Amino acid sequence: MTAFEDLKSQWNNQDQPETPEDGAKKVVDKINAIRSKQRITNIVLGATVMVLIAFFLYISAHKFPPVMIGLLIMMGSLLIRISLEFYSINYLKKMNVSVVYEAFKSQMVTYYRQRIKVHFIATPLIIISYCIGFVLLLPAFKANLSNGFYNYILVSAIVVLIGLGLFIAMEIKKEISLLNEIKQDH
Amino acid sequence: MGYVKGNKTLASDIAQEVFVKVWKSLEEFREESTISTWIYRITVNTCLLELRKKKYIQPYQEYDLLPETQETSHPNKEKQLKKMYQCIAKLSKGNQAIILLELEGLPQKEISEIIGISHEAVRVRVHRIKSSLTKCVKNDSI
Repeated sequence: MTAFEDLKSQWNNQDQPETPEDGAKKVVDKINAIRSKQRITNIVLGATVMVLIAFFLYISAHKFPPVMIGLLIMMGSLLIRISLEFYSINYLKKMNVSVVYEAFKSQMVTYYRQRIKVHFIATPLIIISYCIGFVLLLPAFKANLSNGFYNYILVSAIVVLIGLGLFIAMEIKKEISLLNEIKQDH
Repeated sequence: MGYVKGNKTLASDIAQEVFVKVWKSLEEFREESTISTWIYRITVNTCLLELRKKKYIQPYQEYDLLPETQETSHPNKEKQLKKMYQCIAKLSKGNQAIILLELEGLPQKEISEIIGISHEAVRVRVHRIKSSLTKCVKNDSI
């Protein structure tokens, strides 16, 4: 027996995990969980848009051009970012998993290249426009809010921006390493 | 289980995901290959797809979730098996798929239909992976 055959025989002597008795039920539950998750996501996003529109009307933003422009830029940036995320999730869902591994790997490489483009080009532009929208709102905040609350909004926005920057950097690092791992084949 | 370094829970998660994908893709099965080859393709691709999730890319602290083997009375063989999981994890994703299918006992012709490379290329790669894997298990390098 060669050294590899010896390893193969040890490998095949491992205990095989038992087939769960309720395996079919678990799969059906998982499918239902995926469906309900999609429904919940749609409800949450719909509710968010409704709240934003209601807020927009409540404060009569359309009567104050800088406030209106600021809010529209912020909402637009968020909507673009969410649309990109949805496009990305759909791309993953629509990938044909029954093709040969090499073809599937190419789909994955394309996916990660797109993700990296989004992270390096689209996301910074979106963050910049979001910040511009926020800055346009600042005079209105200063005029209508107490000094303490204004400072709180300013500081918390900076903290969120730093946190978001770190999170995006980590995501980019993770996706670049996954892309390299997939491309590594030879 | 080789894909998830012997972790039964993660392997079972992926198995469930494979069943979901088989069920969803069943209409696309055109009998151009056998059903088992088609399911193996879905399995290999699902492993690649699932590995992007955080729980799969985090390194495991210990191989404590490895299944008990029938040869627990042979600590040396047990150690070798653990080493084998570690060595498989060091291979590229494509080579992991090839060697795990080979260890599963699939004919190389079928492996070539799953991976999408020629039978000859599979033969060469299997030979190369076998020797580097054996070397890794024995000498702690790959």
